[in-house]
Amino acid sequence: MSGEDAESRASDGDDAFVDFHETDARPPTVAIVASLAAAGVAATAALVASPTGGALLGVAALGFLAGSLRSSTRVLTWGAAVGVVGLALAGYRGAPAEPLLVAAIGLAVAWDVADHGVGLGEQVGRGARVRRNVAVHAGASLLVGALAAGLVYGVSLAVGGGQPVAALALLLAGGIALISALR
Amino acid sequence: MSDPGNAAVASESDASTLDEAEAGEPEQDDGAEPNADDADAAEGAGDAVEGTSDATEGAGEADEGAGEAAERASETPTDRERRREVATDRWLGIAGAALALVGLGVLVRQPSLVLSGAVGVGYAVYARAGDAPTPTLSVTRSVSDEAPAPGDEVRVTVRAENVGETALPDLRLVDGVPPGLAVVDGPARVATALRPGTAVTFEYTVRAARGDHEWEPLTAITRDAAGARERETTLDAPTAIACTPELSAGGDLPLRGLTTVHHGRVPTDVGGSGVEFHATREYRRGDPLKRIDWNRRARTGELSTVELREERAATVVLLVDARESAYVAADPDAETAVEASVAAAGQAFSALLDGGDRVGVAALSPLDCWLPPGSGTVHAARGRETLATDPALAPTPSGERFYRSLWLRRFRRRLPADAQVLFFTPLVDDTAATLARRIDAHGHLVTVLSPDPTTTETAGRRLTTFERRQRLRTLRSAGIRALEWGDDSFPVAVAAATRRWSR
Repeated sequence: MSGEDAESRASDGDDAFVDFHETDARPPTVAIVASLAAAGVAATAALVASPTGGALLGVAALGFLAGSLRSSTRVLTWGAAVGVVGLALAGYRGAPAEPLLVAAIGLAVAWDVADHGVGLGEQVGRGARVRRNVAVHAGASLLVGALAAGLVYGVSLAVGGGQPVAALALLLAGGIALISALR
Repeated sequence: MSDPGNAAVASESDASTLDEAEAGEPEQDDGAEPNADDADAAEGAGDAVEGTSDATEGAGEADEGAGEAAERASETPTDRERRREVATDRWLGIAGAALALVGLGVLVRQPSLVLSGAVGVGYAVYARAGDAPTPTLSVTRSVSDEAPAPGDEVRVTVRAENVGETALPDLRLVDGVPPGLAVVDGPARVATALRPGTAVTFEYTVRAARGDHEWEPLTAITRDAAGARERETTLDAPTAIACTPELSAGGDLPLRGLTTVHHGRVPTDVGGSGVEFHATREYRRGDPLKRIDWNRRARTGELSTVELREERAATVVLLVDARESAYVAADPDAETAVEASVAAAGQAFSALLDGGDRVGVAALSPLDCWLPPGSGTVHAARGRETLATDPALAPTPSGERFYRSLWLRRFRRRLPADAQVLFFTPLVDDTAATLARRIDAHGHLVTVLSPDPTTTETAGRRLTTFERRQRLRTLRSAGIRALEWGDDSFPVAVAAATRRWSR
């Protein structure tokens, strides 16, 4: 399957006309590249904090690549699950908050863009023009992650580092309750 | 927005999302199948509750100043039909994962874990915040050539402008290319994001094929920014091209000896005036002088008259097999047997018409197609149009059911008594062979002309080839003329077969 993929991708450059098929349901290249970039950032950030967690996030990045090449959202989900475990492990080993937040955002964006790419592949195919669509989607995803991380990081700084962890969790629970009530 | 069905679908999926999250399932364990199931289930619901708000919106537009009407003409939203709104369930499990991280953070007393869990909560909120917008688009489609010749490449340009108030963060457009046209360059699809007032243009190329082709509505799929909701809308932008091939003149087509009383080109067994010797008979008063056998008169002293074969015109009905089973081809990209049959029928049509015969067209198809035999230039134009654009002979099957006995009864009622039938069929099933024999048995002499769609690559294909051969053999032994052509062209096959055939 992936061998075929590699083969047809190699011939893409030679003659797009010969290789053209209306039903090329593979995810667009730009989505795969963006997903890998985000996963790379996540893995690097986690590696700084904890080697084991970083390694697991690297595995997640490979999972995203495999899921994209096979157009399988299931593989992507498994990749994301491994990534979350990596985050948990890195945090358990006492990673500082900053790299862990960057890794979390990177993981979320990487999965989101890869999954979006698979959906695009199914609905419009690889040959279509999708750059703007993927850019808007990835940008929105990154923005949401950055806002959320900035908010919680700012709050945790404002209330001072010495608070007990349970207090932070309770604060979060309060925030969630507030948002649910507003909706 | 206001229709209750959509709301029901949405709230149902909301509930399922919550259930999953509360069950604490950390990840969505099956990405693809539940989505597909949801989509199927929601499709039924969506069909039942297709929005009626379009009409009211349209009325609202009409109320606006008439002075602006001309100015706004290019910006009028295209008529749309809402199909369905579904939850994609992409973010299923994100809340669970986030809460798991937070819980672990509390257990092991690591604030950084709680913070990264909070990011997950942010994404969970993001996934539930949006709603898939209903696109208000102004769609125009233009084609480079509205009446192309077969095989021409036609450039299609589609422009969609967001004339609504809402931004479309994720818009996928899939154009409804007619089933009979092949897209040869650039997919007829695009994915983009449109702010109000912006437009997207995409182009693709189709290869024109014989027939009238009408574009189906454009499908627009919108998602909210997070991609958690998806809405499908169809936009009506009518476009059509008509592709009418010229009838190329075919070679001489040998007909069988069933003719009208008019003069033509088909030699008959009737003695009279003509060019080919038939018989001699006793002289009768009034026989023309030039047909008296003077040699015999010199030899024996008796007067006798030479009879020549009379050449008469025939009435021919070209019957094209266009049942669903006849849409077969040697490989997926090759032209179907119906295309080959129609092309050959076109050649036969012009050849026979030039020869002074009366020619009609009929289709063995669930749809009705009947051009009564006739002659003359008007009839030639009509025949060309029938062969090119009749829905019964369309390049793709109609999908309706074919009733053999009903068809045969109607066909026999219409067929003139002195008509012979040229039956174009790939002979891939017994029905065609049986029909040929029955029509022949009713006294309308049948010639079967069969394009060969079979190949010999696998055992199954070889079996099909053998079965078809067997059918041809049975037809020939029943006294029906049959010729087949494969890779070589139709006129070549006719010329080769003509040498074999006796009159």
